[in-house]
Amino acid sequence: MNVNYIWYFLTFLTLVSAIMVVVVRNPIHSVLYLILTFFCISAHYVLLNAQFLAAVNVIVYAGAIMVLFLFVIMFLNLREYTAESKTNLVKLGAAVLGGVLLVIIVAALRSMQIEPLNKATYNSQVGMVESLGKVLFRDYLLPFELITVLFFVAMVGAVMLGKRETGERNF
Amino acid sequence: MDSTVFIVRSIIIFVIFGITLLIATYSTYAERKVAAFLQDRLGPNRAGPFGIWQPLADAVKMFTKEEFIPAQANKWLFIAGPCFAMLTALMASAVIPFGDTVQYEGQFIAVQGIDINIGILWIFGIVSLGVYGVMIGGWASNNKFSLLGAIRAASQNISYELAMGLSIIAILMMSGSLSLRDMVNQQATPFLGVSGLNWNIFYQPVGFIIFLTCAFAECNRTPFDLPECETELVGGYHTEYSSMKLGFYLFAEYINMFVSSAVISALYFGGFNFPGQAWVASLLPAGALGHNLLTSIGVVVFFGKIFFFIFFYMWVRWTLPRFRYDQLMNLGWKTLIPLAILNIVVTGAGLLFDFKPATWLIVIFVVVLAVISAAQPRKTMRPQQSTV
Amino acid sequence: MLSIISLSLFGILNLFLGFLKSRRVLLPATLLFIALAFAANLLDWNHQYVYFRDMLRTNNLFINFSSIILLTTFLTVAISRSFGTDEEHTHPAEYYAIMLFSVVGALMMVGFENLIMLFIGLEILSVSLYVLTGSDKRSLRSNEAALKYFLMGSFATGIFLFGIALVYGATGSFNLSAIGSYVSGGPTTGISPLLYVGLLFILAGMLFKVSAAPFHFWTPDVYDGAPTLFTAFMSTVVKTAGFAALYRLLTVSFTGVYGLWWQVLTGVTVLTLLVGNITAVYQSSVKRMLAYSSVSHAGYLLIAVAAKTPQSPSAILFYSLAYSIATITGFAVLILVAEQKPIEGRPDERYEAFNGLAKRNPLLAFSLAVSMVSLAGIPLTAGFWGKFFVFSTAVDRGMTNMGMVLVVAVLMSVVGVYYYFRVIIASYLKTGDSEPIGIRPLYRFILVLTTALTIGLGLFPDVVRQLF
Repeated sequence: MNVNYIWYFLTFLTLVSAIMVVVVRNPIHSVLYLILTFFCISAHYVLLNAQFLAAVNVIVYAGAIMVLFLFVIMFLNLREYTAESKTNLVKLGAAVLGGVLLVIIVAALRSMQIEPLNKATYNSQVGMVESLGKVLFRDYLLPFELITVLFFVAMVGAVMLGKRETGERNF
Repeated sequence: MDSTVFIVRSIIIFVIFGITLLIATYSTYAERKVAAFLQDRLGPNRAGPFGIWQPLADAVKMFTKEEFIPAQANKWLFIAGPCFAMLTALMASAVIPFGDTVQYEGQFIAVQGIDINIGILWIFGIVSLGVYGVMIGGWASNNKFSLLGAIRAASQNISYELAMGLSIIAILMMSGSLSLRDMVNQQATPFLGVSGLNWNIFYQPVGFIIFLTCAFAECNRTPFDLPECETELVGGYHTEYSSMKLGFYLFAEYINMFVSSAVISALYFGGFNFPGQAWVASLLPAGALGHNLLTSIGVVVFFGKIFFFIFFYMWVRWTLPRFRYDQLMNLGWKTLIPLAILNIVVTGAGLLFDFKPATWLIVIFVVVLAVISAAQPRKTMRPQQSTV
Repeated sequence: MLSIISLSLFGILNLFLGFLKSRRVLLPATLLFIALAFAANLLDWNHQYVYFRDMLRTNNLFINFSSIILLTTFLTVAISRSFGTDEEHTHPAEYYAIMLFSVVGALMMVGFENLIMLFIGLEILSVSLYVLTGSDKRSLRSNEAALKYFLMGSFATGIFLFGIALVYGATGSFNLSAIGSYVSGGPTTGISPLLYVGLLFILAGMLFKVSAAPFHFWTPDVYDGAPTLFTAFMSTVVKTAGFAALYRLLTVSFTGVYGLWWQVLTGVTVLTLLVGNITAVYQSSVKRMLAYSSVSHAGYLLIAVAAKTPQSPSAILFYSLAYSIATITGFAVLILVAEQKPIEGRPDERYEAFNGLAKRNPLLAFSLAVSMVSLAGIPLTAGFWGKFFVFSTAVDRGMTNMGMVLVVAVLMSVVGVYYYFRVIIASYLKTGDSEPIGIRPLYRFILVLTTALTIGLGLFPDVVRQLF
């Protein structure tokens, strides 16, 4: 079987589902399409022989974050998204800006030259857990440790903002 | 890939698929029999000898019942919900190593769907997706009780997934591999001349208890079956479901039970290894036949372990009462997660100082603490503070 | 490096101090922690270190920038008087801890040698500020500001990260010098176009964080909605760290494509100066005016970055120092004055609140006047020399390149004089109620200190400039 066809199919699916995230009006459908998008991205990781990233992508994004998304949207119980009416000027501005961005990126990608893969020096194990772990805990040890500060701040902040104060209204 | 390997592999995959379904089917029967036994009843005994055809009768009933979709329900998602539940339940069994290798025409073929080097992460990922079936179905029913059930399921699964993942990390630190097959093979080495004493349960008692508890919660089994708690929520997330769509949900639960039993057996109880393995191997004829025979004995042993844990699930179900919701959350966040982190730290220290059974110290500590607190005179209970 | 580690630990220690019954220990403890980090920072003076496989580089420039950041944080913490006594702030330990953590992020942004470090530092700083902005939980304005800041900030971070990814795609490295050698060395196939797109995205993300003009829309609302103390913190520490990071990134990695980002930056500079100064004129609230003034100061700082002369870092340093001290003085006075007579439970931040301040409390009025004069850039204050050094970098670069920017900057300085002097006029020439305003000793000390610093730096700029 030719891997190229799988790649094309996956890319098609990724793009379609990503576009559907924005296009569909029902927020729940939107979230489900987003989950599908994450799956497609994970499949791309698998094609790149990065199995660990693929699994972690599914676990973290599809398995945890999107569940919380769905959770919140279900609580809000938004059946149908009623778009606040935007003026034509805003729509036009958004379209122009987005279009310019698209043109810039497409132009950059088109004029880019990708060096062909050197089969002799290519290391197929580069995406595996072992090499990833070595890079993470040797070369990128300092950022890895400092990320804990980031998460800690986020956690302290979330607890602080979410905690009920004395004298606050208890719904 | 060689064509023979391909064919044998496909056969193995189909067999695993079929066995998963078969075991799930007969788990329903077993559940009723075990329940009857524990409650001193007879249980199903009309369809066939000992009621052995009961699952078939149930299936016929499920298929022929009226299919009902509520008028205000979101039709597509209403149908998709049980399908998701079934899909995610079935996908997990792909990476479980049911047995050692089969020798066929000089080639060794693993008795396993796929042997990827991130097997445990695969299972973890699929399990974390399992909640979607419940959430989607519960939301699409357009029913308050269903929605509450779905939300309970989601929060419960997320809470217990954390502790589960943390308890797995301790095992990963000991084995140094994410592949389930590697983990199982590492437990095969004999300790003090006895194979079977090197199982992870002897090194990770705390991790095992945490994992087991979380597995109960992930499968929505009693005492954690809050999402379908009938006294509070009618039927929970599947209130509006009928016929085979309901059947799918119930079925998915039993498949999850099977898969989690298999994972527990593989992670903590040596998988397809059994005590006296080397002795049995020496009795068998050498060559392909002996190897394959040993593998099949291993498979049988593995299924024996799985059946024990399935029985354990049912045993617990008919023994323990259901948790209250705040108790469930407190247990998950305030007990299991700190305990799991402590377990990781102690395991790491144990690996550093080359003392693998270090986590028994936690067990001893907890037991001593329990004894001390039990010996003290009982204080007056504070009124329970309920949190939403 | 020692300061980063010690601040992370002190933050955690601070949280534990929150368990103590007495909240009084928190403020001195936090001040002590910052002072210790400051001292730890100075240990490396005149040494060059690269830590953890090219992740962090400390040299005198790093120490200068981080000293300014720590000094600003020290001053901000010292004027945080409302913590602890107020019922709204029942968790002062958390606020102090988050402030300490955010300084960790700022220091990472100053000393990064790898784009990953820059990203994480930026995120730590931003996330802390999202929380601090929303810390006034019962105020709708604060909630709105926090949400707005969070949504827009995370979008900007996303664009920034996309830019980093594209630069990585072009150069194959996150390392600053590796990117620099790719850009200036010129690979055989020519510079990949992805690099240009990536650079633009990174610029957009960074310019958002320092609130330069087309990306400044969040600034007034967020600065206005956040508790004033954190507005002071935000408008000083983020700017210093942001400009240090921007300058470092652009000069170390992208010197080879100066022609590209110079054009972008001069355009942004002109726009920022125009928008910041002209909109500030129309504000009726002093807090909002200060918000727009911070936009305009971002414009002045951008001049030094765009000029990219050898004098640029010292100009940026001096300007940040002068601006930070003056801004903190301004906000410190604003906090006291605004809370004197709240309107509908909200602090009164209009110009009218300052009427007759000179009679009510001459010290406050004088500090305010000095800080406003410094922000406006009048001689004999630090702000004048800040502007002078910044403008001289532009002159060094050459009038053909920077002439337009200089003309706009000088004109806008004149506009700035108008709105800064409105506050001074209100406090000295207008009459208001004569109820005196009491100040705590520490607060008074900080005000005297910052005022003295502003005037001292205005009289003897070379004292500090020798260090830069």
